[in-house]
Amino acid sequence: MAATVSSEHFTNLQLLLKAPSKDAVRDVCVQSHRAASRRLAEATAATLNISTAQAAQLVHSLHVLSHHVVFHSLSSPEQILALFPASFHSSLKNLITKILLENSPTWRTEAAGDHISVPQLKHVDWRVDMVTGSDSLSRMSVPTCLVQLQVDDPCPLAGGESVSTVMVELSRESLDTILDGLGRIRDQLSVVAGK
Amino acid sequence: MQLYFTKDVLPDSVSTDFQNLNKFNEQQFHRLIQVLFQFLLEPKETERFMQQLTEFAGEHGMSAGPLRNLMKSVLLVPQGALKKNLSGEQIKDDLVTLGLNEDKATHFSQQWSEHYAALSRLAVAHTLMVNQLVDMEWKFGVTVGTSEIQKTGNIFLQLKLVVRRGNSTENIYMELTLPQFYNFLHEMERAKASMECFS
Repeated sequence: MAATVSSEHFTNLQLLLKAPSKDAVRDVCVQSHRAASRRLAEATAATLNISTAQAAQLVHSLHVLSHHVVFHSLSSPEQILALFPASFHSSLKNLITKILLENSPTWRTEAAGDHISVPQLKHVDWRVDMVTGSDSLSRMSVPTCLVQLQVDDPCPLAGGESVSTVMVELSRESLDTILDGLGRIRDQLSVVAGK
Repeated sequence: MQLYFTKDVLPDSVSTDFQNLNKFNEQQFHRLIQVLFQFLLEPKETERFMQQLTEFAGEHGMSAGPLRNLMKSVLLVPQGALKKNLSGEQIKDDLVTLGLNEDKATHFSQQWSEHYAALSRLAVAHTLMVNQLVDMEWKFGVTVGTSEIQKTGNIFLQLKLVVRRGNSTENIYMELTLPQFYNFLHEMERAKASMECFS
């Protein structure tokens, strides 16, 4: 059973009735999902002709509601409408529900990509070089592979870099071993996907 | 003295050492060369090399010290020859120039040609690699839920790469989504195909 959103939030949401247009409502909803910032509260206060304090509460309530929808993966109108109290203004209820349904797939995908994790691989570049000489052999002909991995750390340590680049050199044998390992991962993934 | 295996001026003691080499009979010389090449193929086995020379010295009634010095001079030739990719002919010429008699020089150069492939492979293995990948570990699983989404089912893959940085190793951790994994696999297959063109 999905938890409920408390009624005080819906009281705040009724302030949206003062919005000049449906687009204005849509804007506030979408922007408050990201973060409840002071600037947003001030802009909303101006648009709706309400006090900044009231606008801040409204933005916060919208934030709670939209995150609730994403958290519980509410995907049908009935599920969202069920959250509203019976006395809530009916057209506003339908409008907010419609906006939430429109945006929640995007919000879900963003949330899925944004979770805490170890650094994420962003980009892979490689090149194959031919080593033609070294201090141990003045003439040789050995291919070697250089791989550049661009890794993005979503939670870098204080003072640490967010994006780091790793260069790795692979001999032919290492590359074969890696491909062997990756092949096994692929096989295991297909088993899991098949279930 | 014009030599293929080195451009340096050799100390006189080297010439003397090679002339002394001529004093060994055929059987003794073959044994010494065998010991020498065994060491070249396994350069970490210095103890064993010294041991074998001491035994040889004992068997043939000579002192170990001078024999070891002699072999040190002899070692200069194959070590230089390997770096310069010398042929059997060139190494034979150098040995003769240094004062070794024809028969012994021929035998040495034959042994050289026989072992050349193995010695080259050893030298290739010593060629430096930058940030060499030493090990790769992985695990993959399913994200069941997060603070933002109560129920989810995204597959993730975590890789740990162990990279040699100088004398120590460094662990690099990263996470890949499924599309990123398939892309990575695809790129590595392309790299392998590119490498195979060169073989």
